[in-house]
Amino acid sequence: MAGRRRKTARDKLQQEFVSEAEEILERMRDDLSALAELDASERAAPPELVNRLFRSAHSLKGLSGMFGFAGLAELAHHLEDVLDRLRLGRTSLAGGGLGLLDESVSLAAAGLEKIGRGEAADPLADPIAELVGRIAAWGEAAPAERAPAGPIPLPESLARALTEYEESRLADALRRGRTLAVIEVEFEIASFEESLSELTRAIQEIGEVISTLPSPGAASDSGIRFALLAASELGAAELAARLELEPDAVRIVHAPAAARPVAAPVERAAPASEPDAGTLKSLSDTVRVDIKKLDELMNLVGELSRERAALRALAERLAGERETARAAEALEKIRRSLDRKVQELQAGVLDVRMVPLRQVFDKLSRVARRLRIDLGKEVELEIEGADTELDKLIVEELVDPLMHLVRNAFDHAIETAAERRSRGKPERGRIRIEASQRGNDVVISVRDDGRGIDPASVRARAVERGLVAGDAELSQKELLALLFLPGFSTREEVTATSGRGVGLDVVRANVAALGGLVEIDSTPGASTCVTLTLPITLAIVQALLVGVGTQRFAIPLGGVRETLVVTPEDVQHSAGRELLALRGEALPVCRLVEEFALGAVDRERRQYAVVLGIGNARLALLVDRLEGQQDAVIKPVQGPVRSVRGVAGATELGDQSAVLVLDVSALVEDGARRREAA
Amino acid sequence: MSAPGTERWDRLARAAAAAREQGEEQHLRELLRVEVAGAPYALPIERVREIVRLRPLTRIPRVPAIVLGVISLRGEIVQVLELRQALGAGSAPPGRRARIVVMNGDEGEVAGLLVDAVTEVMRVAESELAEPPGEPAACVRAICRRGDRFVSLLDPEPVLELAVR
Repeated sequence: MAGRRRKTARDKLQQEFVSEAEEILERMRDDLSALAELDASERAAPPELVNRLFRSAHSLKGLSGMFGFAGLAELAHHLEDVLDRLRLGRTSLAGGGLGLLDESVSLAAAGLEKIGRGEAADPLADPIAELVGRIAAWGEAAPAERAPAGPIPLPESLARALTEYEESRLADALRRGRTLAVIEVEFEIASFEESLSELTRAIQEIGEVISTLPSPGAASDSGIRFALLAASELGAAELAARLELEPDAVRIVHAPAAARPVAAPVERAAPASEPDAGTLKSLSDTVRVDIKKLDELMNLVGELSRERAALRALAERLAGERETARAAEALEKIRRSLDRKVQELQAGVLDVRMVPLRQVFDKLSRVARRLRIDLGKEVELEIEGADTELDKLIVEELVDPLMHLVRNAFDHAIETAAERRSRGKPERGRIRIEASQRGNDVVISVRDDGRGIDPASVRARAVERGLVAGDAELSQKELLALLFLPGFSTREEVTATSGRGVGLDVVRANVAALGGLVEIDSTPGASTCVTLTLPITLAIVQALLVGVGTQRFAIPLGGVRETLVVTPEDVQHSAGRELLALRGEALPVCRLVEEFALGAVDRERRQYAVVLGIGNARLALLVDRLEGQQDAVIKPVQGPVRSVRGVAGATELGDQSAVLVLDVSALVEDGARRREAA
Repeated sequence: MSAPGTERWDRLARAAAAAREQGEEQHLRELLRVEVAGAPYALPIERVREIVRLRPLTRIPRVPAIVLGVISLRGEIVQVLELRQALGAGSAPPGRRARIVVMNGDEGEVAGLLVDAVTEVMRVAESELAEPPGEPAACVRAICRRGDRFVSLLDPEPVLELAVR
C-alpha cells in the first residue's frame, strides 16, 4: 500500500473490527453456499447450518453496533431477524430468499472493505434501506407451511425449559420420525466447556442436540451434570456406543411408532439407498480420534515388532536342535505370517493419522482475503492438491511457515497495481500453492508472479553483513540460499503484515524441525518459488543406533549417507579443524563425545564415522560403536528445557530406556559453519 | 461456538464454581511431604501426577546441571531435575529411598523432580501456613509446623526455571 501511515489507536481498533467482521462474513458466505447447494438438490438444510447463520448475523449486529457502524448494524439486524424466522420454521427459502441473503452478505462485505480502507465511516445508508425493504417483504410473503407438532412427549420439567427455537427443533424432529433421547453426563467443572462441546459435536455427527440443560445431582463436588436432549435415528445402546458413554447415560424418551431400521449409521450403506438423509449420514461412518490414542497404538505396534524379533530368535534356537527342528519350522511359518500382519497393522495406524492439507489451505485462503483488504492489493490465490495427505502432526506445524510464505509473497513480492502495469504484467497478482506426493515425501510449493529476488542486492546485503567475501564466486542457488540465514532480510521497512527479522530463517527452522527441506528459486522480475519437501509421517522412522561411552543415540536413517571405520591416521588437520578425506572430498569431522561433552576425547582410538548428509552438505560424525538399526517413534522431550541444539527428540527402546534422537540437519549445519569460520 | 442455550448455563455454572472457590479458604490443603538433603519439604499435591521409583536416566547434553536427564514413562519422555540443587544442597548420588515425583506444569507440560524420599500426604489448613523467615530459596513459598519440625512448602515453578538458565 502506498504511503502507509502510522496507525493511531483508533485505526488499530477499527482494523480489529474489520478483521473480526470479515471472519464472520466469511463464515456466513461458506454457510450460504452450503445452503444453496442443499437447496438446489432439494434437500432439507441441517438445522445447525441455519442456526449458525443466525448466530453469525447476531454477532455481526453486536459488533457493528459496538463500533458505531449503524448502517451495518441495521443490515445485520434485519438479517438476524429473518434468519431467526427461518430457523424457527416461520418462513421458508422460497421466493428468492437465498438471493436476498447472498446480496445482504455481499453488501455488508463491500461496506466493510470501504471501512477497512478508511474511505467512509458508515457507507451503507442508501443501499441498505432498499435491501432491508425487500428482506421485510420476503419474510412476510413466504410463510412456511408448518405441520402440527402434536403434544411434546417429554417430562414436564424438561419441556418447560425449552426455548421457542428448541421447541421448533423438537417438533421438526418428531415430524421426521426421529428418536428422542435424554443423555445425562457429568463433567469436571474445570473443563466442562470443552467436554460439553466435544460431546455436542459428536452428537451432531449422528443427529441433533435440541437442548442442553444443567441437571441436579452431581456425584462429586468438582462435577457438573448436564442433560442433553438429542434427536437421532439411533436407539439407546447404539447412541451410548457411538458417544462412548455408559449405556445407562442414555434414556430414550420418545421413539417413533414404527421402528426404523437402525443398521444404516453403523454399516456403510450404499449411498443410493439413502436419498434424503445424506447430510446427516454421510458423516456417520467417521469417528473422531484423539491423536494421543493413535500414538499409544503406534507404541503398541512398535512393541509388537520387538516381540517379533524375540520369536525369531527362539525359532532359530529351536531349529538348531534335532528334536525340535520340525516344531521350529512351524513356528517360523507362524512368525512370518505374524510379521506380515504387524506390518499391515502399522500401515493401517499410519494411514489413520493422515489428514488432507485442505484444512491448512483453507486457513491460507482466509489470510489471503484479509491481506487483500489490509494491503489493498488485488491478488489471486490458486490452490492445487488440497487432497494431498500428511501426518496430522506435520499438518499442524505447517500452518505458520506457510502463512509466513503467503504473507511474504503478498507484502514483498507482488508489486502494486501501477508497478505491475508499467512492467506489462496483469494488474492482478497471482500466488499459486501446489501440493503433491512424491514417494515418501510431500512437496508443497508457493509460487508468486511478483518482482522476484534480485541476486545483486542479496549479494550486496550478504557482503555488507560479512556473510560472504566481496569477491566470492557464488552460483544463483548459493546466493539465494543466503536468504535462509538468521536475520537476513532484503527489505528495510517494517510492515504490520510481515514484520521484520522473522523471515525465511524461521520458515527453514520450522520445516527442518519436521525433518523437511526448504528451497528457493527465483527469476528476477518475474517470479519466486519456495518449495518445502516434507516426510509423510513423523511417527516412525528407521534409525541407526550408535554408542558413545555408556550412552546411546539414534540417528534417523534418512540423514545417513554411509558408515565407515576410521583409524586415527585417516583424520587430517587443517587450520585447527579435523577433516576426513572421503573419495577426494574433505568432510568436516564432528566427534560426538566432544560435541556433547560426554567425556574425554581419545584421538588414538579407532572410531566409526557416520556420514551425515542434508542436501549437498556432509559431515563425518565419529562414534565409538554402531549398534544396528531399529524402528523408532520420535517423541518430544517433556520438561522445562524446550530444545537442545542437535537433539530432535527421544525414543524409547525395548528395555524401557530413553534414547536421544539426533537432529541431523543442525549437526551438519554447525559442522559447515565451523568449517567456514576456520 | 457453543450449542444453543449453553451460554445461560455457562453463566450459571461459573457462578456456582466461583461460590465454591470462596468456601475454599476453610478447606484443608493437601501436600506431598518429601525429604531432601535431610530436611522436610512439601509439594502441592494437585500438581503431582505420579510418583515413580528411580530408573535409569539418559543424560541430555547442553543443559544446566540441575537437569539430570530423561526417563521413559510408559513411552512418554520426561526430563528429571534434581531438587537438591534447587535448594542449594549440591548434587548427590540418589539412595535406595529416592523417588521421582512427576509434576504437571501450568500448561500441561510434565517434569520429574528427584527427591531423597517421599514420606506422607499431609493436610494443612491455610491458616497454619506462615511466611518463611529470613531469606529462603526462591522456590520456598511458605512454612508450616509439623510436630517439632518445620516443613517448607515449595513452588515448583522457580525450580523448573532453573533448568532454562
